[in-house]
Formats: sequence, C-alpha cells, structure tokens
Amino acid sequence: MTDKQQHIRNFSIIAHIDHGKSTLADRILELTRTVEEHEMENRVLDNMDLERERGITIKARAVRLSYRAQNGEDYIFNLIDTPGHVDFNYEVSRSLKACDGALLVVDATQGVEAQTLANAYLAIDSDLEIIPVINKIDLPSADIERARNEVEDVIGIPAEGCPAVSAKTGLNIADMMEKIVSDIPAPSGDPEAPLRCLIFDSYYDSYLGVVVCLRVIDGSLSTGQRIRLMSNGAEFDVVDVGVLEPFGLKSTGSLCAGEVGYLTASIKNVAETRVGDTVTTAEGGATEPLPGFREARPMVYAGIYPADGARYGDLRDALEKLQLNDAALSFEPETSVALGFGFRCGFLGLLHMEIIEERLEREFNLDLITTAPSVIYKIKKRGGETVFIENPSNYPVADEIDVAEEPVVKASLITPTEFIGGIMDLCQDRRGEYHDMKYLDANRAELHYTLPLNEIIYDFFDALKSRSKGYASLDYDFDGYRPSKLVKLDFLLNGDPVDALSFIVHEEKAYTRARRIAEKLKENIPRQLFEIPIQAAIGSKIIARETVKAMRKDVLAKCYGGDITRKKKLLEKQKEGKKKMRKLGSVEVTPEAFMAVLKLDDE
Amino acid sequence: MKDTSLGLYLHIPFCLQKCNYCDFCSFPAQGEETKHAYVQALCRELEESAIKAADYTVDTVFFGGGTPTCLSTADLVALCDHIRRHYRLACDVEWTSEANPATVDEGKLRAMREAGINRISLGMQSANENELALLGRVHRPPDVYASVEALHKVGFQNWSLDLMFGIPAQTAESFAHSLDEAIALAPTHISAYSLQIEEGTPFYRERDALPLPDEDTEAAMAALLYQKMAKAGYHRYEISNFARPGFESRHNLRYWRMRDYLGFGITAHSCFAHERFYNREGLADYIRDPLGAREREETLTPATREYETVMLGLRLSAGIDDDTFATTFGYGFFEKYGARLAPFLAAGLARREGKKTCLTADGMALSNAILAEILED
Repeated sequence: MTDKQQHIRNFSIIAHIDHGKSTLADRILELTRTVEEHEMENRVLDNMDLERERGITIKARAVRLSYRAQNGEDYIFNLIDTPGHVDFNYEVSRSLKACDGALLVVDATQGVEAQTLANAYLAIDSDLEIIPVINKIDLPSADIERARNEVEDVIGIPAEGCPAVSAKTGLNIADMMEKIVSDIPAPSGDPEAPLRCLIFDSYYDSYLGVVVCLRVIDGSLSTGQRIRLMSNGAEFDVVDVGVLEPFGLKSTGSLCAGEVGYLTASIKNVAETRVGDTVTTAEGGATEPLPGFREARPMVYAGIYPADGARYGDLRDALEKLQLNDAALSFEPETSVALGFGFRCGFLGLLHMEIIEERLEREFNLDLITTAPSVIYKIKKRGGETVFIENPSNYPVADEIDVAEEPVVKASLITPTEFIGGIMDLCQDRRGEYHDMKYLDANRAELHYTLPLNEIIYDFFDALKSRSKGYASLDYDFDGYRPSKLVKLDFLLNGDPVDALSFIVHEEKAYTRARRIAEKLKENIPRQLFEIPIQAAIGSKIIARETVKAMRKDVLAKCYGGDITRKKKLLEKQKEGKKKMRKLGSVEVTPEAFMAVLKLDDE
Repeated sequence: MKDTSLGLYLHIPFCLQKCNYCDFCSFPAQGEETKHAYVQALCRELEESAIKAADYTVDTVFFGGGTPTCLSTADLVALCDHIRRHYRLACDVEWTSEANPATVDEGKLRAMREAGINRISLGMQSANENELALLGRVHRPPDVYASVEALHKVGFQNWSLDLMFGIPAQTAESFAHSLDEAIALAPTHISAYSLQIEEGTPFYRERDALPLPDEDTEAAMAALLYQKMAKAGYHRYEISNFARPGFESRHNLRYWRMRDYLGFGITAHSCFAHERFYNREGLADYIRDPLGAREREETLTPATREYETVMLGLRLSAGIDDDTFATTFGYGFFEKYGARLAPFLAAGLARREGKKTCLTADGMALSNAILAEILED
C-alpha cells in the first residue's frame, strides 16, 4: 500500500430519513474546513430542490475533503452519499462497494429502522468497517444505551464506545472524525495492477457530456487513456480526470488506486455508463470485472400522458432530458383510446415514479395524467410461449393463459410492538406470506413477509403509515415470480371500455376494487346529457355497476334586455370547457376527475 | 320583403335599493335631479336615432331597468311623449314598463297608461316574505296584491308577473306557494327565471355559503312550474316565459327572432340592420354626452346570424322552421343540424313536428348543453 493510500478514507453515511444524515455531513464538511460556515446553508451533498424538500437524497454523489488529524497528518476523506430509499437498493449497494467503511447513524430517540437495517446489512455484505454513531443525544428523550444495545442486538456489531454525538450542536463530532481515521481501513488495491474502477454514479452535463463518478480499485486512471466499459465493451478516450470537490469538479489529470473521483470522455448518454460497471483500459486491461454488476431494471410501469394533448412533444423532450441523468428511467410511446398520445414509462419503484412525475411537472411545467402503476406480469401462454406484460391493455384473454405469474418481494417491516396486529392484518389483506417475527427490543419488532409487488404499489405505504401512526418502516427486495390467480379488470363507460382504466388484480381483490373504482367514477364524472352506466368487467362478466344520472337542468341564462352577444359569450365559454374534457368513449371527463379516479388513496 | 318593424328599449338605471342577485346596471337612491337629467339625455338620444328609424314602424317599446317606475310621474310621461313625437308607432303597439311593487301607486299607473304604456311587468319574484328578504327586494307580499289591485283599477288588461326559483333556502313547497299565488292573481303572462349567481353581486361574494337548492330540487321546481302553468292555461312559448294565448311578449320575441331593436340609455343594446351596438356604462358621462356612449359590438355575418338564429330559435317552443331558415340561409335547418340533433331527438330532448324542430321541456332545461353540442365554433 502506498503512502498516499494510507491517508485516504472512503466512507459513506447510512441513516434512516430524518435521523440526521445531512446535518452530520454538514458537520464533517465544517470540521474538514472544506466549506465555510456561511456556505453551509445549502447542503452540498443534496443538490436537487426536490431532494431537499423531501429530506432524502435521490442520487448518489461524492465529495472529497481534507482533514488534519490529531496526529498532525493530513487525510483525504471521500464521503460517498447513498440514496436513502428502497427503490434505489442496487445503487446503494454500488455506492457502498466504493467505500471501505460506513458511519451507521442511529437516532438516539428512535433506534434502528427498517431502512437503516437494510442498508447496514448491505454494508456488512460489502465487508465495510462500520462505525455506529448515536445521533441526536442533545434531545431530552435520547437514550444512548438503548440505541447502543439495539445496534449490538439487532445488527450484531459491537457498539461499545461508539461515538455518541449531536450533529445539530456539534457535540463529540471531533471524536467521530478521529474514529474515521483510526477505524476505517485505508483502501487496499494494487496501484500496479491493470486498471479497474467501479462506477457508482454518472450524470449528464451539457458541456462535458457524461460525468462518471468512480472509485479506482486497482491501477491508475489518467487523462488521454483509452478506456473500456466491461459490461458493454464500449470504448472512450478519457478527456479529463479529477476529484469531486464540494463545489464542483477539480481536474487532477490522474487518479490512483484507492482514490475517488470522476472522468469525462465525451460520452453522450448515461445509459452507457451504468452504475456498478467496471472501467478498465482498452489495452492490457483487466480480464475480470468487479463483481456485482446488474442492470437496473424497471419494476413499476405507468402510462404518462400530457393533460393537454398538444404538449406530447414537450413531454417527450422532457423525458429525454431526464433520461440523460437517469438510466433507470425507460419510456416508450404509447397510445390510449381514452388519453391519446403518451408514454409507457418504467421506474425502479413508486418513489422513483413520483420523483419523475414531480420533476416533469415542476421543471418542465407539464400537466400530466398518469395511469395506475402496474408491475410486470409473466404469462405462460397455452402455446408454450412466455410473455412479459407491463401494460394491462396487452394482457392476454383468459383462454390464452396457461400460467400467470406476478413478481413478489421479500419485505421487512419494523414497527413499534403496539402496531404489530394492525400491520399483520394489513399484510394478510395484501396477500402477504408470513415468515417470522423478531423482537428488536421490548418495544419494537421486525416482521418478514413475502408480498406481491402489485399490492405494494397500490397503496401499501399509505396504509402502513396510517396503521402505525407513521412509525412503521418498510424495506423490500425483489424475490422472483410466483404463479397467481390474476384477472384483468376493465371499466366500461356507456358500454365502451376505457383502456386507461384497466388493471390487473388478484381474483379475490377484483370485486372490492371494482366496486371502489366504479364508485369513484360515479363521484367524479360530471352529469351529462344522458345517463351513463359505469360497469366493471372481467372478460364479459360484469362484476360491479353504477350509474351517473343524466343532467336535468343547466344554467338557464336569462336572455332579455337584448344583450345577445353576452349570451353568445357564455355559450362559447361552455364550449371551451367542453374542449378541455377528455373523451372516455362517449363520455366527457375533466383531466382532474380522471386523476381523482386513479389516485390511490387509503380506503 | 324587408321587415320595417322596430322595437325600442329604454334602460332606466335607477332603483330604490340594489337586489342581492342583480347584475344589471342600476344605481340605487339617486336624487331627482340626476334622474331628471338622465331622462333628458335619453330624449336627446331618442331624437338623434329617429332619423335612421324614419322608415320603420315601432310596434314594441320596453322600459326596463333598474326600476323604470323609480322615475317621477312627470319624467315618465315626458319620456313617453318624446317617443310619440319622434317615432311612428303602430296602432297596436305593445308598450311595456317594468315596475316594482313598492314603487307604483294608482296615480302613477294611471298617468303611465294615459301616456301610452299598455303593459306592465311586475317584479313579484316570490310570495314568501323570507325569500324576498333574502333576495334583497324592497317589497313584501302585500305590496304585490296592492299593485295588482291598482293595475285593475287603472284598467291595465295586459300585465305580467316575474317569478324566481332556485332561491337560497327555497323549497319545492315554497315555490309551489308562489306559483299558486301568482296564478290566483290572473296575469296574462308569467316569467319564471332560475336564479343565477352573477359575478359582482352580493350573492356571488357569499356563493359558497348560500344554501342553494341542488340540481335535482331545481329540476323538481321546474317540473312543478310547467305543470302548474299548463293547468292554469299559460302556455310556455319560451324557456322561461308563459302566456295566455295572444299575450306573449312581442318585445322579447324580437330578441329571440333576431328582429331589429334600438336600445337607449346606458348599457342598452341594439341590433339594427345587421349591426350590434350598445351604450357604455357611466351615468355621468351619459348625462353629459348621451351620443358619445355608443360602442360598436359586431357586424352580423351570415355565419354569426345563423349561429344566433339557432341559439335563440331553440329557446322558443315554436322552434325553428326549415322553410323560414332556408329563406335566410339557403338550406333547411334540419338538413344541416339533423345529424347532430339525432341523439337528442332519440332521447326525447328535442322534437320534430313537420318542418319544425324544437326542444322538449326536458331539452329546454338543458338548452345550453345541447347548444354547445350542436353549434359550430
């Protein structure tokens, strides 16, 4: 190991939302004097508005800091941020792979949460040195001992003498910094071996092209080298190499084994530089890629349509722009009889979907209509052919299906014990298969279930929060496909099926779901000149029906005094209103009403 | 043959107190001098327009408001005399004045009748004290009976009552009571409008708190209206208007049949020789310069005339006649609109009788929605 390597510490912070990750990062930045205090208003690691508002970090980023330890020597800290949500599990695992250690932040008032646990396990799997950090000890309800015991009992790592800090007040942060120097190992890796870099993030910059964030594992990377991406064989000439400073890129010309930084190479699309891929040299490169590469596959699909059909082109441009920085986002043109032209988009999960929707609306000023999210179903047809269905409209008719399978996840739920009953009922209701339950301490338990993914994307999070007063947390991981009794539920307005409302549901759920949506349609469709029958059907069998009564009386503008022009204007206004309506078959519905029907609220 | 008949509308923008639902141009509690000055300005405007009406015979005159009977008897009579002096009136002219039950007495009515007015439209609105109070009307039920008695005494044979439904807190029962009271007074004509909440009115500001009847209750009130009117011998000749045979408002029919009328006074609209124009708001400006208030609105192209003919024609029970339509536009009404009307004919919202197309009672209740479907942009 070189002397340079000896003075590098690569680590990340693992924390549940609200447990103080950002505040702790702020303190570290302060103590390394990398950022002046007055500049701390804007936290460096989160640089999207959306992230800050939601208090979560969506995409991994890293920052390089200098720290003079108490032994008088200067160290380089590379703090690698990790996304904090279950949708981005794979990205988290790659970010952790770029580290040698992790600070595991536990809220002294709350204890260990499902997400913390899941990420802690990922860190343990990656052989990271974990330093538990008990945070928020300034709060009156803080219980440091309890938190320490939980770390030892639940996660199974020693917590004796671990730093207990207040990121808010700065208390004991200096000790924690020394702990980073003393406990987290310096990066190993052979500087003389063929180049191997792990990509843990990449983003598109309109001047530089794709900026690839990476950790050099072996060898050295320098400007001018010809490199190869080992998953797809793509080759590029390196234009620039450098480190990630708090306020931007700083060119260094080269990076050695153990260092964290970036490269640019006139790469046009982040889809080429997938997280987890290995960068090597085009000639004399490594033969074995770093283990664990996996293409991020969308798990959840939904149709996204512009509320105003004329903005289809704008929506496409916006999706293309977002995709420049988000290789996990996929989209394909789709047409719906009801909604016109739009896109079927694939997401890593529900949060990913919400983020994309919000960014489209906020950054691109688009009004959207989004269909109910769907998972990918695996259908073995009678002819022996297997198809994957991500759009309910393409679901084969019952006669053609031999076996229908749906994706399931392994779910871990952590809850205060008082809510166990309610959560077990919920999981039962959502077709969960119970595995086991473990008491984390006297007050909290961890439950393990196998749950169909389509039950989770429906309204599981909301239901979980409402049944646990917001205290329960959920983590899940894809666990393959299971045969299931699935049916396609169609909705007919005035006898015409409305494609955008169809969805796939388990047989046992079909009736309740059909009734609920039919009722919502009834509530939200304005009365029209004719009575509108609403029907829910499985194949040709009607399983629920409602009726929107015909309009009986509209506003009879008085028409005297000779002001005919005004009367005409009122009529024109009424016609304008009609134009904003969406035709669902022969029925007119406002985009708002359509969204209200699709909104997945808790019953 | 050119139609040389003409209607005159005179807007009297004064009233005792502004009603909570009213968005007509009207100024409460003005001094007598202002009102007098306004009448003089009206006279000037009447004189100025007389030239273009020289070849026309005026067969309807309508004093609307506001409350025309807010004017002094002398001013009202002077205005009538001025019209007679400058316009050729048909011998059977229909000359209407709106009146508020609290603003007429026998003496004023007699003077009006002697000045030529032969039809009175009385704003009864409701027979229920609480509803009148809520609407902000100045009169109370007994005022209506007193006014009607005065009408009889003076000898008015043709008079109308205005009613309203869809009033906050109104019930089908209370509306039935108003209808029964109105019918018992035996007018020749009854108008019944559903209340609309117009911007800029006190009702508009309180709209979210108003206990307005829901759509079904209002529809039930409307049904009650048609039933009681038919039973009492009033036929419905327009969406909101009912009359004994021969007593339809000829002036209002002008608007719906797109025949010429000239409007005088602030905010009054005119339609003359395929031009629509109107007078701006602004009382003081008008008094100062009555001829300067005029504003062009639009020239009626064949397309807009067709649009209006359909829009207004379907308000009438007489509907639209294919031949009459073809005389103006070159093709029959049903020839062009038949296909668009088909679903409404099938649903019983429209009806075809020989060459005539009209909306049914159910269809009239939905006329805006139907028009929005069949009219072109």
